[in-house]
Amino acid sequence: MSETRKRFLVQSAVAGAASTFAFPNIALGKGEPIRIGTIPPITGSNALNGQEELEGAHYAVEEINSRPGKCFDDRPVELVVEDATNDNQAAVGALNKLLGENVVAVVQPVLSTQIQAMAPVMKGAALPWMTGGTAVKNTQLGLTNLFRCRASDGITAHGLVDFAVKDKKLKKIGILHSTEAFGSGGADQVEASLKNYNMKAIGREGFPKDTKDFTPELLRLKTAGADGIVAYVQNPSDTAVILDQFKSLGMNANIALLGSPAVGNTTALATAGAAAEGIFVAQDFIIGFNSNIATKFITTFYREYHRQPDVGTGQGWTRDAFLLLADTYRKIGTADPAKAVEALHKTKHWEGVLGDFTCDAEGNLVHNMSVGVVKNGKVVLVKTVTVSV
Amino acid sequence: MFDLSATLQLIVSGLAMGAIYALVALGFILIYNAVGVVNFAQGDFVMFPSFIAVSFILPSVIVFGSVMHWQLPIIAVYLLVLILMAGFGLLFNRIAYYPLRDRGWLPVVISTIGVSIFLRNLAQIVWGSQPIVFPSPFALQTLSAGGLHLRTQDLLILGVSALLIAFQFVLFERTTLGKQMRATAQDRATAQLLGIRVDRIVAITFIYSVLLGAIAGLLVSPIFTVTKEMGGLISLKAFAASIVGGFGSIPGAIIGGLLIGVVENLGGYYISSDYKDAIAFVILIGVLLLRPSGLFGERVSEKA
Repeated sequence: MSETRKRFLVQSAVAGAASTFAFPNIALGKGEPIRIGTIPPITGSNALNGQEELEGAHYAVEEINSRPGKCFDDRPVELVVEDATNDNQAAVGALNKLLGENVVAVVQPVLSTQIQAMAPVMKGAALPWMTGGTAVKNTQLGLTNLFRCRASDGITAHGLVDFAVKDKKLKKIGILHSTEAFGSGGADQVEASLKNYNMKAIGREGFPKDTKDFTPELLRLKTAGADGIVAYVQNPSDTAVILDQFKSLGMNANIALLGSPAVGNTTALATAGAAAEGIFVAQDFIIGFNSNIATKFITTFYREYHRQPDVGTGQGWTRDAFLLLADTYRKIGTADPAKAVEALHKTKHWEGVLGDFTCDAEGNLVHNMSVGVVKNGKVVLVKTVTVSV
Repeated sequence: MFDLSATLQLIVSGLAMGAIYALVALGFILIYNAVGVVNFAQGDFVMFPSFIAVSFILPSVIVFGSVMHWQLPIIAVYLLVLILMAGFGLLFNRIAYYPLRDRGWLPVVISTIGVSIFLRNLAQIVWGSQPIVFPSPFALQTLSAGGLHLRTQDLLILGVSALLIAFQFVLFERTTLGKQMRATAQDRATAQLLGIRVDRIVAITFIYSVLLGAIAGLLVSPIFTVTKEMGGLISLKAFAASIVGGFGSIPGAIIGGLLIGVVENLGGYYISSDYKDAIAFVILIGVLLLRPSGLFGERVSEKA
């Protein structure tokens, strides 16, 4: 092979590779897959979140690809998965790998701590970033491509406190929270919401994940005279132990327990069993919102996985994130990341499993929450709160 | 301010938790005494048998993503788990320890860390990441008297732990096997010269240690739920307990476990719950500073 011909072939190969990286599969032809990346924590101590979100992603891709015409031009979605693990540094490494895999959007994570760690990388990537972390700060990091597909802790904490003070007439509210970003952020929001009513928490008790005995935390709040406890807890098995001890210490007789969305999710309630009866829980969607979309999602999921999905915190929001992306691509007729980001900011009254999606200036898409009471293992609607955009 | 009712409640729940730390700490100590290494998979010996047990206790369980119906009578399940874990203890000895026994302590310690990672990931692959509710053989009830609330499962934990500790005393003090185990722990070479089959005794010690972890798992699962992380914090506290008691001392492991269980609860209530977990390690540092050999450990003198 002559040197000139060899050089030409090498240059062509480099040019081809460069064009692929410079113009990710947006320019590919009819029927070519649109690669969407997802980065749940599949291994490590948050693997439960990862498993639920991966199930939601697979469900969504199946739903999108079964539609006639798929996204547009008969192009299906192809899922690209990387493991965020439970370590922020490893999560950023996995994100960098994902971004090198020719994806046009990223869905996940749900853990606010990982979102905040990944933010500098995603700021440079400028792809649509569909996240599920509820810490208020996430959408205030200066990223225009970050979208939150669940109600923020600001909304759920405000709704819970509003319900506790106005409806339940509670006067002495204590806070129990896990000490990672979600629990601490939620507790901060509860304290901020109490200030709106000129109230102050009578105690704030934090605990690390996988704590096995909550007697000191619960007794401290009881001794302080709490008539209500707002609990921001991430881990379902922590929720189960707390509710069991809350009941066995006899505190459920005269203290109301109000839990964050993670306390009221399907897994946590199934794990807590009878100990959850009578507690109030916030949900970052409208309880009993029986749209065709939600009903189809719940029944199809159950058929496939033999258990109920977590509508808010797990599979539900993940499904909505993918479907919203697919519908946006269909609407604009391209998977171009910049155009998709622009179009996502214009989202108005898109209907998902979680209800209405309308984008505000910060990229928050969901603005509803509701409060329910646990009766016979099910969450029954008590009150709905909607924050206007 | 002092609150008698709260203090009694904290002591009772601290003792129940401390009994579990003690059982896991005993597992640490037995293997340490036998082969001179810390087994970092001890917490996973609490977790793994709990998953096996719950697979046969529940009417249906999801294994490898498929629904299985393997329900057996609860006594049969407990026996099955103990038999399987005895086999696992032998396997653990043969794979993680035996091939590395002549290469110093570090490769064996690394090997136990490998077993720990393997068991956690295996549990996730087989049973998934969802917490599984473990039904108690006894109805989960609370007995209340004079402002004190006692869960029946906590009483069961205390009762079974006391029986096991008594059994252990009889085993080591009154039986030939126990004396052989003690002799091997004190001086392997001399034990071998006396005709004790040291490798066999070490294997039995591994099996016994795994069984202690399994019993701890079966006791706590009804109140904690079964997750792959359930042994993590327990083993960390148990490790602290065994050092507080004096690493290598069996009575020390028991007292250390109970002490940490009670003191962390009292500290969490009277000082701050935010520092509850740190309290176990503050005790650990305090004991190491004031009495480096632990509460029941033998003083070690170094020659100049």
